[in-house]
Amino acid sequence: MASEAAMRPAVSSGLATLAADTAAAALPVSLYVHVPFCVSKCAYCDFHSVPGHESWRQPFVDAALFEVGHWSHHDLLDDVPTVYVGGGTPTLLGDGLVRLVRGLRETARIRPQAEFTVETNPETTDAILVAALIDGGVNRFSLGVQSFDDEILRILGRCHDAEAASGAARTLRDAGAAFSIDLICGVPGQSFESWDDTLEKAVASGARHVSVYPLTVEDGTPLAVAVESGSMPALDPDVAADMMLAADVALAAAGMPRYEVASYAQPGHEARHNQVYWSGGAYLGIGPSAASMLPHDTYVRLADGEGWPLPEQDGGQPPLARTRFSHSSDLPAYLRRPLTAPTELEHLSEAEVKREDVMLGLRLRRGVLAASVEAAGLTAVLGGLADKGLVSLSERDGDARWRTTEQGWLLGNEVFGSVWAGE
Amino acid sequence: MIDLRAMTDPTLIRNFSIIAHIDHGKSTLADRVLELTHTIEDRDMMEQVLDSMDIERERGITIKAQAVRVLYEADDGKTYTLNLIDTPGHVDFTYEVSRSLAACEGVLLVVDAAQGVEAQTVANALMAMNAHLEIIPLINKIDLPSAEPERVRHEIEEALQIPADEAVLTSAKTGEGVRAALESVVRRVPAPVGDPAAPLKALIFDSFFDAYRGVVALIRVVDGHVAAGMKIRMMATQTVTDVEEVGVRRPQQVPVSELGVGEVGYLITGLKDPSLVKVGDTVTAAKHGSLDPLPGYRDVKPMVYTGLFPIDGDQYPELRDALDKLRLNDPAIIYEPESSHALGFGFRCGFLGLLHMEIVKERLEREFDLDLLATAPSVEFHVFKTNGEEIAIHSPQDMPDPGVLDRVEEPYLKVTVLVPPEYVGAVMEMNDNHRSTFVNMQYLSATTVDMHYEMPLSELIMDYFDQLKSRTKGYASLDYEYIGYRESDLVKLDVLLAGKPVDALSFIVHKDKAYARGKVLTEKLRKIIPRQMFEVAIQAAIGGRIIARETVSAKRKDVIAKCYGGDISRKRKLLEKQKKGKKRMKNLGNVEVPQEAFMAILKVDD
Ligand SMILES: Nc1nc2c(ncn2[C@@H]2O[C@H](COP(=O)(O)OP(=O)(O)O)[C@@H](O)[C@H]2O)c(=O)[nH]1
Ligand code: SF4
Ligand SMILES: [Mg+2]
Repeated sequence: MASEAAMRPAVSSGLATLAADTAAAALPVSLYVHVPFCVSKCAYCDFHSVPGHESWRQPFVDAALFEVGHWSHHDLLDDVPTVYVGGGTPTLLGDGLVRLVRGLRETARIRPQAEFTVETNPETTDAILVAALIDGGVNRFSLGVQSFDDEILRILGRCHDAEAASGAARTLRDAGAAFSIDLICGVPGQSFESWDDTLEKAVASGARHVSVYPLTVEDGTPLAVAVESGSMPALDPDVAADMMLAADVALAAAGMPRYEVASYAQPGHEARHNQVYWSGGAYLGIGPSAASMLPHDTYVRLADGEGWPLPEQDGGQPPLARTRFSHSSDLPAYLRRPLTAPTELEHLSEAEVKREDVMLGLRLRRGVLAASVEAAGLTAVLGGLADKGLVSLSERDGDARWRTTEQGWLLGNEVFGSVWAGE
Repeated sequence: MIDLRAMTDPTLIRNFSIIAHIDHGKSTLADRVLELTHTIEDRDMMEQVLDSMDIERERGITIKAQAVRVLYEADDGKTYTLNLIDTPGHVDFTYEVSRSLAACEGVLLVVDAAQGVEAQTVANALMAMNAHLEIIPLINKIDLPSAEPERVRHEIEEALQIPADEAVLTSAKTGEGVRAALESVVRRVPAPVGDPAAPLKALIFDSFFDAYRGVVALIRVVDGHVAAGMKIRMMATQTVTDVEEVGVRRPQQVPVSELGVGEVGYLITGLKDPSLVKVGDTVTAAKHGSLDPLPGYRDVKPMVYTGLFPIDGDQYPELRDALDKLRLNDPAIIYEPESSHALGFGFRCGFLGLLHMEIVKERLEREFDLDLLATAPSVEFHVFKTNGEEIAIHSPQDMPDPGVLDRVEEPYLKVTVLVPPEYVGAVMEMNDNHRSTFVNMQYLSATTVDMHYEMPLSELIMDYFDQLKSRTKGYASLDYEYIGYRESDLVKLDVLLAGKPVDALSFIVHKDKAYARGKVLTEKLRKIIPRQMFEVAIQAAIGGRIIARETVSAKRKDVIAKCYGGDISRKRKLLEKQKKGKKRMKNLGNVEVPQEAFMAILKVDD
């Protein structure tokens, strides 16, 4: 563990340390690329992705590389600690994905030992492609399995069966790649046996990282329509809770303890890119609907150059510290003009940043320093949550930290909502 | 074209109202009249123009009576000034009807040619008879394939005992017969009589608040005249003020130089205080004015009471202000401050009925931008204590301990239900469950039976109307009349959440029904109250004895773990939305209670 931490101080100890360590150096900015294509739409999916549109795929790679080139040119990508190519189904791009990956390497200054993840789904996990990607610098895959039960896969509207999922995992393992598996629990009709079996197969697949999500019904999805019309029973949150607990036990027993509300990993295989999200690190999202977070002054520098909107400051408000923005999910518009102004834009003050850091930090098992909580003015709020058994304060190696309890993970919205609201 | 500015010769004035059961076509008929008299040009014509409030348009019903002046060139070659007053048809708004009638000499009684006579047809016609108005029956919707004008003619004669051979047949939809209706008005409705030389005497029959002009009163001049610049006195409040403007409504306000005998119009004084301009008051000249006021209206008696509380306690002063303003426009509302342990400060308000209550709440929320919580409606109980003291209570909270109670009386109604014969059985069965006593029934025609019951008002406000409608496939119509107080074996049922009594959920119920109501209510609440961080017990109790219990088990999972591609803004927004949703709920001793919980008691029948 200690050597792991020493190897990657940048991601695992947050922006503050990072800024101190690399005082004069460039700002570390992680890179996320959103590939908005899938073979077909899953019943529960509200991510931005479209089936078909084959003729748009190569132009998309061109547009994404153009965008990355532009930002590199503006000195934003001089120190890239992690890269995540997600979607959608990036591997659906085939050779285009290899071109994208190589292009990223050539354009942005990605650290030599950077974590470089590509998301994939069973139907497009091809041995030759995987080898080419590894050759291009990809060192981690995230495989969307969701379940090893054909019936559940059918209910979820996935376009592959359990056999294909196992096959894809085998392909990745045979290629010698580190990989993660995504699973969904709490699906109507899913039995505990089915869930246990899925967990067992995930462990046996050779994955060193597993993400577990309770199914949520998003407005406007076919799943929502089915539940509303009564053709599918409503989700039972108690069942999902029990399944989350079962995952916790089974995966810990298999040597993959939980390190984040939804993530389990063998020690040293925690997803570094995701931890950037939870620890206040900067990241740039490329592609339609992709989200970015930059220190406010960095945003101002970019926005000035691009003619993007700047906040109206009349001097009365507290200074701004952080900016979050994302691009429209209009794919044709993106292809025509990849650098249009963000459609969602949010500027956070220093006080809000502190609250947000505590909120995000509580997603992680290691929790948040009591001193940071105090600095965010949240000690009383966490005290209140502790009374409800959702967080606890403990001291280890002289560091007092607030940590989310088992019950707190399950009632995460309660914890995160209270922390953000500051009440 | 007649000059609107000149006072009108009273012999050429006809003041009439249109009365009907709801949906029989009053508002549509009024539209046709406005068109036929070119009061509104076609391009300005919206459907049911007189229903100007948003709520009226949305619900398709008329709530506030409206007055409009039209000029009609009759077959005799003369041009008449008709003042047309559209009235509401729902039983809750009977009061509005009676006010409108006081400004008229006659009515058009509209009856749907397919539906026939319904409960408010009878109630409104009786009101017009009591006011000695000329009644012109009008059978509307004759364009419908299901129209049966002959049967309806017979029903009018049978139920109302008025001759219907001269009834006008119309279709407000196509306009057929509308001219004939106006001819009847000109011929049969008497011209107003009054003394133009006598001191001014005018009746305020409606009023509303205009943000720019202050209080606007709708008046009917009986004697003398009123003009801008005059000094007038409101006789009941003894307020003396200047007349800023008088005018007529077409339906937009058009100023005129003066209003004379028999004329209907509006009056603006610049007064901003609603309480100084009372509906029912008489306006006279400040100097040498009349000494005897016109007969006012009967005092309206609220039938149902409910607590209205601002969800955000800081809005209490705004709520008071809003009620003050709304009351001007709707004098049937009464209110007094009330405080609840659970809900804080609010008002106990009295309404004419459930629809009235719903509409007032909605108007307060929309027009005054308030978020309100209403408690379950109650009636006025008369409580006789063992020490001889007698008190009237409007809120279950005020019910004394059983120990000091001698007896309790509750208001009873005479209920009239008109239904087709095939539903008589369903109505009887349903009424049996509502502690009612059958009085008698009468066949009005082969398709309509007139049933009479006596029933406690508290039963009627329990979702009775909706149930009646659903059990008779919408065919039944209902009217009721207050007949006095009767002793009942009543108890107060309390509701406890997590062991703590919640005063705002208490209600008063007949002893024989308490157990069943308590059980259904706790079950209902279990479904309404969302799962919380801890288990919540829901109990119903009478005088400390628990009679029903349900539990809401603790919430175990509430997490949207997925946070794709670092889209934290979106996730944070979901959390903020969730937090907001909670704020719309009421926090009662740590239990988050949604607003519907306070109305759950209304839906516990069957
Ligand atoms: N077919 C037909 N429908 C009519 C006629 N008069 C009114 N209606 C319809 O009946 C409904 C109720 O009319 P409305 O004027 O609002 O009735 P009110 O409640 O008495 O004011 C509306 O849908 C009208 O369009 C008519 O003469 N013929
Ligand atoms: S594979 Fe993922 S992104 Fe594609 S449709 Fe399914 S859930 Fe959505
Ligand atoms: Mg109407």
